[in-house]
Amino acid sequence: MTYNLLEGLRVLELGQFISAPYCGKLLADMGAQVTKIEPPGAGDWARQYGPFLNDDPHPERSGTFLYLNSNKQGITLNLATPTGQGILAELVSCADVLVHNLHPLEMDDLGVSYEAISRNNPNIVMASITPFGLTGPNRNHIAYDINLAAAGGICQGLGSADREPLTFGTPQVGYFAGAAAASSIMMALLAGEPGQHIDIAEVESMAGVYNGSEALMAVYQWRATRRTGHHAMDFPYPNCILRCKDGYIFVGAPEGRQWRKLLELMGDPPWSQEPRFRNRTDMNNHYADEVDGYVEVWLTEHTKAELLDLALEHRVPLAPVRGYDEVRYDASLSDLFQDFDRRDTGPISFPGSPFQIKDVPQSNPSPAPYLGQHNPDVYCDTLGYSKEHLVKLYQTGII
Amino acid sequence: MPGPLQRVRVLDFGWVLAGAIPGMILADMGAQVIKVETRQRLDYMRQGRPLIGEERDAELNPMFHNVNRSKQSITLNTTKPEAIDLARRLAGHCDVVIENFSPGVMDRLGLGYADLRQHKPDIIMVSISSNGQTGPLRDLRAYAPSIGAMAGLDSTLGYEGERPLGLKHAYADITGALHAVFAVTASLLNRKKTGQGRYIDLSMLRATVATMGFGLSEYAMTGRVMEPKGNYDPVMAPYNNYPCLGEDKWVSIAVRTEQEWQGLVQAMGNPEWAAEENFISKFQRLRHRKELDRDIAAWTSSRTATDATQILQSHGVAAAPVMDAEERLADPHFQERGLYQEIEHPSLGQEPVFNLMWGLSRTPSAIRRHAPLLGEHNQQVFGDILGMSQIEIEALEESQVLW
Repeated sequence: MTYNLLEGLRVLELGQFISAPYCGKLLADMGAQVTKIEPPGAGDWARQYGPFLNDDPHPERSGTFLYLNSNKQGITLNLATPTGQGILAELVSCADVLVHNLHPLEMDDLGVSYEAISRNNPNIVMASITPFGLTGPNRNHIAYDINLAAAGGICQGLGSADREPLTFGTPQVGYFAGAAAASSIMMALLAGEPGQHIDIAEVESMAGVYNGSEALMAVYQWRATRRTGHHAMDFPYPNCILRCKDGYIFVGAPEGRQWRKLLELMGDPPWSQEPRFRNRTDMNNHYADEVDGYVEVWLTEHTKAELLDLALEHRVPLAPVRGYDEVRYDASLSDLFQDFDRRDTGPISFPGSPFQIKDVPQSNPSPAPYLGQHNPDVYCDTLGYSKEHLVKLYQTGII
Repeated sequence: MPGPLQRVRVLDFGWVLAGAIPGMILADMGAQVIKVETRQRLDYMRQGRPLIGEERDAELNPMFHNVNRSKQSITLNTTKPEAIDLARRLAGHCDVVIENFSPGVMDRLGLGYADLRQHKPDIIMVSISSNGQTGPLRDLRAYAPSIGAMAGLDSTLGYEGERPLGLKHAYADITGALHAVFAVTASLLNRKKTGQGRYIDLSMLRATVATMGFGLSEYAMTGRVMEPKGNYDPVMAPYNNYPCLGEDKWVSIAVRTEQEWQGLVQAMGNPEWAAEENFISKFQRLRHRKELDRDIAAWTSSRTATDATQILQSHGVAAAPVMDAEERLADPHFQERGLYQEIEHPSLGQEPVFNLMWGLSRTPSAIRRHAPLLGEHNQQVFGDILGMSQIEIEALEESQVLW
């Protein structure tokens, strides 16, 4: 469902893949009118990324694209031409916000610098999401998710000591940068200052708010970011994923009473009385593998569902490691998932707005646009071009 | 320079991480954020590690200092009815209320949305919780790693064909906090037009699930459920971390386009293996990505991660060192942009604090002050906002209402 809190806000999105599109999606799900501008031909490269419906590859059936671009209008525009740049200037003059994730080098090439954009609309709020930001020695570096995770501090501690550091199993960094951009845009609009340029570096969305305080570990020589498999060092045991009867379960117990309750559920086994297990942080750092074995004896007698019930009943932090099928059919999320229905795909289920805002009218979501679907609406109805003009723009590769 | 939220006042009951960070962001952006604390039950972040010195001390936790900088602190002992009354009166002068207690606690205290809107009809309140204020999982004891497990995030994190490892970071706390800030600021913007307050029920699980685009798509589009695949991307090869000179040093390399591949080959000095049939096209490279990884590792192993990064980037190839905390602190790019800043804390002295790094050109964010001492602003807040006298405030501190 979509909310109407941002009704009337006109947003242009020059977005590819995740970061800027997720920003656009957050704004669109709150009711903003988001017009996504794609290059003619291939469009957003998320269209080539998949996963594809029933494994039939097609740019209109890529899950990554369909999820991130619902509730938006879609138009095409070739910014590599002076005519295309001229049309962008017209679009900018009737927008409140422009969000993009063009690389800094592309910004210069395509005339999407803040200087050029604000010349056409001094009041516009422009958000630039780039890998390393608009300043600094690495400004022009290029980066994909794994590079951003590596420099952002995600990889160093993930995996086993003698093997390669790991990154997320799926691309994730763009979501953090997109959310940062969406909030920054709200703040720039709240500031009441005419026109702002927002600089969001994807790598800093990891290295800053996400795990910025990890720098303290270096300064105070506290918890080392070394890789220790499924255990994390210097936490009280347990704080890890263990085996259960039908899969894996996260087991945590930061509070002493939670650990005592877990032991009680295990039937107060004799090993738990051993003096060397008195300090749970020592237990974690020195005996974790051994204790895993003891705890898994109990866990493997129970399914994920049974353990979740025990967690609810006894207020202990057990949480099943769920596959995406289980997430999809979680009864507590039944109103989160929405069907997005397009004639060529039929209904496809994706998460709708993650917010639950009381007493706000909601409307049904609309699916992601076909490439150039709203060209007539935007170019003819909004900008006032004639149909003949539209055809010429198409024939000359501008749209 | 003033921040964009300089006329916004926030009553911040948020604590630990997911609850503290939204207030931190709003405060860096210029809002007056009043952190409500109590000696009855200290914010865990004031008590936990890292320990500086031998004794636990509520003012010596750098983690707390990071996520509560720019705020003010007042103490309210919510077991006393007078304290509840004061909290309501303060809310009457605020724009935003943030809380992340267990669902139901604020209502029980008489500080729920229904109570507070009587004192401030256009108040915007956000309740951050693991699984939402309603529904079957509402009372589940859950922390960030629990949410990562339940959202599907952990199910793909691990080496190929092996067990899921779990993330060592508080992913769900941050997604929860970021989405809370967006919902609050969108509500503030809407309030300017409509005059309406809002109540936002922010479930960290929902916010985290919203960022699971690829895994959920894979299931929705193909019916397949993803499992750990190590460092893997469906369209990129190479896509991995490669060993470098030095102890446990690695460089990440990712190649998407043919042009980037040509850049990589050139950067490596046009080795013969790169022209082999197995690597001749993107399709072939994806199919033979393990052999490709071995050959690239042979090249990276004789270079430092920084050198490899520089050579590759100069050939238009995406590369970056796998950095630990120390390396990020010393990194010239992060230093020039001011990712970390030294600030002076009265108890701890000079300490590093990470910056928000959301660069607004006209109304930039800034660390406004060091994290507050417990109850440091009782006089200022109750005096300035509620017009109470110094003697009145001291008496309430004495009687452990402001406690």
